[in-house]
Amino acid sequence: MPTIEFDQVSKNFAGNTVIKGFDATVADKEFLVLLGPSGCGKSTMLRMIAGLTDISSGELRFDGVAVNDLEPKKRNIAFVFQSYALYPHMSVRANIGFPLVMDNFKWWHHIPLVGGFARRALMKRGDIAGEIDQVAEMLELTDYLDRRPKALSGGQRQRVAVARSLIREPALYLLDEPLSNLDAKLRTQMRAEISALHDRVQKSFVYVTHDQVEAMTMGTRIIVLNDGVVQQYGTPKEIYDRPANTFVARFIGSPPMNLVPVTFTDRGADMFGNTLSFAPPETLGEQAMQLGIRAEKVRVHAAGQDDGQAGYPAQIVTVENLGAETVVGFKFGSEPHDFEVGARASRDLFYAKLVGDVRLEHGQMCTVSFDPGDVLWYSTESGELFDSTQMASS
Amino acid sequence: MIARRRLSTGVRALLALLLTCLAGFPLFWIINTAMTPTTDLFQGQQRLVPDISRTLDVFSVLTTDTPFLGWMANSAVVAFGTTLLSLVMATMAAYALSRYKFVGKGPMGFLFFATQMLPEALLVVPLYSLFAALGLLNQLSGLVLVNTAFAMPVALFILKSAIDNVPYELEESARVDGCSPLSILQVMVVPLVAPSMAAAAVITFFDGWNEYLFATTFIRDRSSWVGSTGLASFIGEFSTPLDTVFSAALVFTIPAIIFFLLMQRKIVSGLTAGSVKG
Repeated sequence: MPTIEFDQVSKNFAGNTVIKGFDATVADKEFLVLLGPSGCGKSTMLRMIAGLTDISSGELRFDGVAVNDLEPKKRNIAFVFQSYALYPHMSVRANIGFPLVMDNFKWWHHIPLVGGFARRALMKRGDIAGEIDQVAEMLELTDYLDRRPKALSGGQRQRVAVARSLIREPALYLLDEPLSNLDAKLRTQMRAEISALHDRVQKSFVYVTHDQVEAMTMGTRIIVLNDGVVQQYGTPKEIYDRPANTFVARFIGSPPMNLVPVTFTDRGADMFGNTLSFAPPETLGEQAMQLGIRAEKVRVHAAGQDDGQAGYPAQIVTVENLGAETVVGFKFGSEPHDFEVGARASRDLFYAKLVGDVRLEHGQMCTVSFDPGDVLWYSTESGELFDSTQMASS
Repeated sequence: MIARRRLSTGVRALLALLLTCLAGFPLFWIINTAMTPTTDLFQGQQRLVPDISRTLDVFSVLTTDTPFLGWMANSAVVAFGTTLLSLVMATMAAYALSRYKFVGKGPMGFLFFATQMLPEALLVVPLYSLFAALGLLNQLSGLVLVNTAFAMPVALFILKSAIDNVPYELEESARVDGCSPLSILQVMVVPLVAPSMAAAAVITFFDGWNEYLFATTFIRDRSSWVGSTGLASFIGEFSTPLDTVFSAALVFTIPAIIFFLLMQRKIVSGLTAGSVKG
C-alpha cells in the first residue's frame, strides 16, 4: 500500500493552470478527502493520481517511485466514478467480476472474438465466481447479480460501482464524488458504509467531494483546495478549529465562521463602534484585521439579560429553529436596523448557533458575547491566520 | 374525447394502410408479372391476381437454363465481403476520429466525406486502369474493394456519431480495470454501438448487393458475374423474356429482404441506459 507524494504537481489545460504547484504527502491507510468548491481542480487531482489525466509538471510518487508515466492498470488502484460508469451491456455479476477477469487475461485473449469466449470461461472459474459472490454479499447485491444496471436503483448502482472497485483488492481506492446524486437518507447510509469499508479493508482512500459534511465525517485528513491551490492540509478537527485562512473559515462549517472586521484606533480595537475588551498582542502593522469566531462559540442574550460578561449590542435579524439547535442571525449596533432585502440583508450579518429552542425573536435587541480564547485573527490583506501564540487576552 | 381519439386512430390506420400499399405494390407487380407468360404480357393481358400454378415452371427455367444461382452466390460473396470489410475499417476509423486528437483529423474527416461527392461513373476509367495494373479485374475481391471504398465512409459517419454518444467514463473505467485500447474497442465500444453497426451493415450490404456499374465494367467472365449483371443480361437485343426477368428480380430481392429483417431486430436504441447518471 503506497504513500502518495505530490511534489510541485501542476496541471495546465490549453494554457490555463488548474492545479498550481501541489505539494502533499499522504500516509498509508489514510482516508484523504479532497474538498473544495466546484471547479477547484479536485477531480483533476484525483484523475492525475489514477493516471487518467497527464501531469503537466512536477512528480507524483507512490512509495517514493515516480508514477507520472505509469498506465492506470499498473497503478494497482480502483476508481469509483462520479457517474457510476457501469457497463450497461453486462450483468451486475459481469460488472463486478470484470476487473478480475481482465487481471487473468492472457495476451492472446485480446484477439477479436477469442476475448468473448475467454471472458465467459473466466467468469465461470471457481475462484472468480466465489470472489464475486463474496463481494456481492458484503454489499447486499446478491439478489441483483443477474440484472442489468438499468434495472437497478441509484443506490444499488452505486453499490455495484463500489463492489467493482473492491473485488481486486487494490492498494489505493479513488472515489470521485460517489454520493453526489443520492438522496439525503441514502447518502447518510452510504457514507457510513464507505467509512466502515475503509476500516475493514485497511487501505488508502482518496475521496473527492464538495460536501463538507462528508469530508468532516469520513476523512482522517482533508486537503482544502481553491482555484487549484492547497488552502489547508490537516485533520478534520484542525481544519474546523483553526482554519488557515478566511477561505477555509468561510468554506468549512454551517453556518460559516463569523469574520468580523476590526479596526485599530487610538482608543483600542473597534468592532462596529464597540471597543473590544481584548485585542491581538500585535497587529503586525495592519490597521484592520478580521476577528474569527465559530457560531457555536457565540452567546446571545436578550437585551438586559446578559450573563455578566462583556457583551456587544446587536439586533436579531433571523431565527432558524432546527429543533436541537437554533441558528440566530444578528447585526451589531445599539440602534435598531432598517428592514432590508436582497444582498444588503446578508451584509454584516453574523451567526450564533445556540443549543435547543431559545426565546428570541426577529427584530429583538440583544447582547452578543464570546470568550477571547475562542477568537482567531485573520489578516485583512492576505486573509491568512495569525499564529495563536501571538494572541492574548487583555 | 373518446370519439376524437377513435377518429385519430382510424385516420392513422388508414394512412399506414395507404403507405403499405404504396411500398408493397412494386413487389406485388414483380410477382404478378413473373407469373404471367411473356406472350400474354406483350398482348396486354396482364393479370391482376398472380397465377401461382406457374411458380415451379418459372423458377425451374431460371435455375436450369441460366447460371443465375451462381451469380447470386457471387453477389453474396461481394455483399458480405463489402459489409465485413467496411464495418471493420469503419469501426476503427470512427473510433479514432471520435476519441483521438491528431494532426489532420479535420481534413481527414472531410476526405472521407468527399468520397461521397464524386459520381461513380467519373471514377470508372481510372479505377479500371488501376485494377488492370493490380490484376484485380475479373476478381470478386476487386469488386469488394471498390464497393468498400464507397460504402465505408457512410458506415464511418454512422458509427462515429454513435461512438460520440458512448460515455467516456466507461472507457476510462475499462482502462483502470486493465483493458488495452483494442480491448476497449471490442469489449465496450462495439457492443454499445451494435444498433448503429446493424444500420451500417444494412447500408453497406445493400451497396454491395445492388452495385451494377463496377460489376458490369470490371467482371468480364460470365461465370464471375454477380446477380445485378446477370439480371440485366436477360434483356436482349431481339427478345426479352419478361417473366424470367421478373422472376429473377424476385429471387434477387429475397436475400436482401431477409438480411434486412435479420438486422432490423438489432436496430434498437437505449443500450447505454443505466451506465452513467442521467
